[in-house]
Amino acid sequence: MATVTYAGATRHYPGTDRPAVDKLDLEIRDGEFLVLVGPSGCGKSTSLRMLAGLEDVDGGKILINDKDVTNLPPKSRDIAMVFQNYALYPHMTVYENMAFALKLRKTPKSEIDVRVKKAADMLQLGDYLNRKPKALSGGQRQRVAMGRAIVREPQVFLMDEPLSNLDAKLRVQTRSQIATLQSQLGITTVYVTHDQIEAMTMGHRVAVLLDGVLQQCDTPRALYDTPANVFVAGFIGSPAMNIKTVALTDEGGVFGQMILPLTREQVAAARAGGDGKVTVGFRPEDCQLVSATEGGMPVVVDLVEDLGSGANVYGHAAINGGDERFVVSTERRSMPNLGETVFVKPRTDHHHAFHATSGIRLA
Amino acid sequence: MRHGKLPFVASFLALPIALYVILVIYPMLQTFYLSLTFWRGFDVDPVWVGFDNFTKLFDDERFWKALGNHAKLLVALPLITIAIALFFAFLLNVGGGSKGGVRTGVWGSKFYRVVFFLPQVLAVVIVGVLFQTVYRSDDSGLINGILTKIGLDPVYLLVNPSTALWAILFVAIWQAVGFYVVLFSAGMASIPAEIYEAAELDGASRVTLFFRVTLPLLWDTIQVAWVYLGIAAFDFFALINVLSQDNGYGGPDGATTVLGVELYNSFTKSNIGRASAIGVVLFFLTLTFAFLTLRASRRETVEY
Repeated sequence: MATVTYAGATRHYPGTDRPAVDKLDLEIRDGEFLVLVGPSGCGKSTSLRMLAGLEDVDGGKILINDKDVTNLPPKSRDIAMVFQNYALYPHMTVYENMAFALKLRKTPKSEIDVRVKKAADMLQLGDYLNRKPKALSGGQRQRVAMGRAIVREPQVFLMDEPLSNLDAKLRVQTRSQIATLQSQLGITTVYVTHDQIEAMTMGHRVAVLLDGVLQQCDTPRALYDTPANVFVAGFIGSPAMNIKTVALTDEGGVFGQMILPLTREQVAAARAGGDGKVTVGFRPEDCQLVSATEGGMPVVVDLVEDLGSGANVYGHAAINGGDERFVVSTERRSMPNLGETVFVKPRTDHHHAFHATSGIRLA
Repeated sequence: MRHGKLPFVASFLALPIALYVILVIYPMLQTFYLSLTFWRGFDVDPVWVGFDNFTKLFDDERFWKALGNHAKLLVALPLITIAIALFFAFLLNVGGGSKGGVRTGVWGSKFYRVVFFLPQVLAVVIVGVLFQTVYRSDDSGLINGILTKIGLDPVYLLVNPSTALWAILFVAIWQAVGFYVVLFSAGMASIPAEIYEAAELDGASRVTLFFRVTLPLLWDTIQVAWVYLGIAAFDFFALINVLSQDNGYGGPDGATTVLGVELYNSFTKSNIGRASAIGVVLFFLTLTFAFLTLRASRRETVEY
């Protein structure tokens, strides 16, 4: 049971000109499942390792339960971590792997036994307790790594891309298992992933990082509905949002014949320093394919991805002199053919506007 | 094997096998034969004496002294060398804790790495000569020079029968440690850093880290080191020959003699039969040792 606070935490690797993690401010509530997400090299793993004590903190502080742990060694922080490659002890059996931390803490044998067996039951590892890691499958190894963290009953769980070495189907299964387990145990969890679907499905809140800077931290729903800037808008959601920087008029952003309306305040904010342009985005799933007369934007279809339940339609349209690419999600019934021209119309009030130069959301 | 492949493979193997047979197998068989003869090397034909050389050998006090010394060396050399090398390798590689997420050795580890390895590049004989001057009995020796300067009685490490072997063993360890530090360093480098991190998060101190994680994961490498050092303990000829009393004849009074020295001596005294008999004994001893070690230390190999 613990809260975690990053207070301006900074990590600057010697010999680099830019911090890997730049003044990270983040408060994680007791029992919360927080996901750190971002493209590779954004500093999400570094942030996690700073919390674990495996990485130096060059500026700012890290608090666990309001206690400053910035300079404490990893073992004094009462945290457990699940590594991407699991980092199981290859010379120990599954049982010994899970019991190792408890043994080092001089926990009585009988209690170790109870706790290991309980965790093994929870993770369906009961039959494998006497096996060595090399005799286990990837999914089983992953569960042992989870078990090793669970038996400790730590204040905070840290997970560093624990699913990335599993195959796609197992990943989806384990994803829901981890989320269920976390809510049962109620232990504060910080989870790092590069996969935005994992982030959206598992996290109570999601923190999006780019180049070591926190972009936005909010519930998955809020990230999806009101992305704080262009990066978050493009990163969250699959397929990615259609984001274009277009000419600005009093009514809104100009997409050829179609105008995406903006409020008076948005237009005013976009004008300031925006060079007569505005960045407008709409999600592939927030559009309709309409008939030629309904005022949609004509898009020539380049590729159709048939997903069974629906389809992603990729195409291009000539807008303001340039050739722009678009993605639209459609139902299976209205799947267009290659080379066909479809008319795309975003649903009213489902588009997002950002400042053309700063990329910040226009409220 | 597909048709036509056999001559191709055989043509590649023929030369090495021929060389091996002529230069290794044939002399070995010759040794076995000579060990059953009396021969001074100048006679036309060796005289067949059956197991005479062996029975004489087993009655020889010096032979048993040599065997006893091998036993001592066999225990002490691997044990001490591996212990020291493991300790240094741990300090040089992971003993410094983690700095900025990278596990490092203690301060100055790069320098020490060079220092430890330095004796390894010297020839054994050179090392022996070097330590002759260290151990010299008069005050021009390093040890006794210092001892007499500060007013203490000189020590006669190579002259005293109870210390002579250990003084020579020290030289061997001094020279060997560097190589095993490098060997163990390579072994430690192949252990993923994440395992150390996991152990650290689990609450392991440096000592537990060493005994519970590093050591078990290095077991294969240690086993190899044990075999190497054991075989070295069956040799020891060069150091004894350079350092021991009685003109290198395992002195004082056979206190430091080993089979190699006995063999060499029989040979120089033109007793080829006895020399060959010792060679045969040494051959079977080494073989038995290698077999036993590999048997005893067999464990599952570790995979990461």
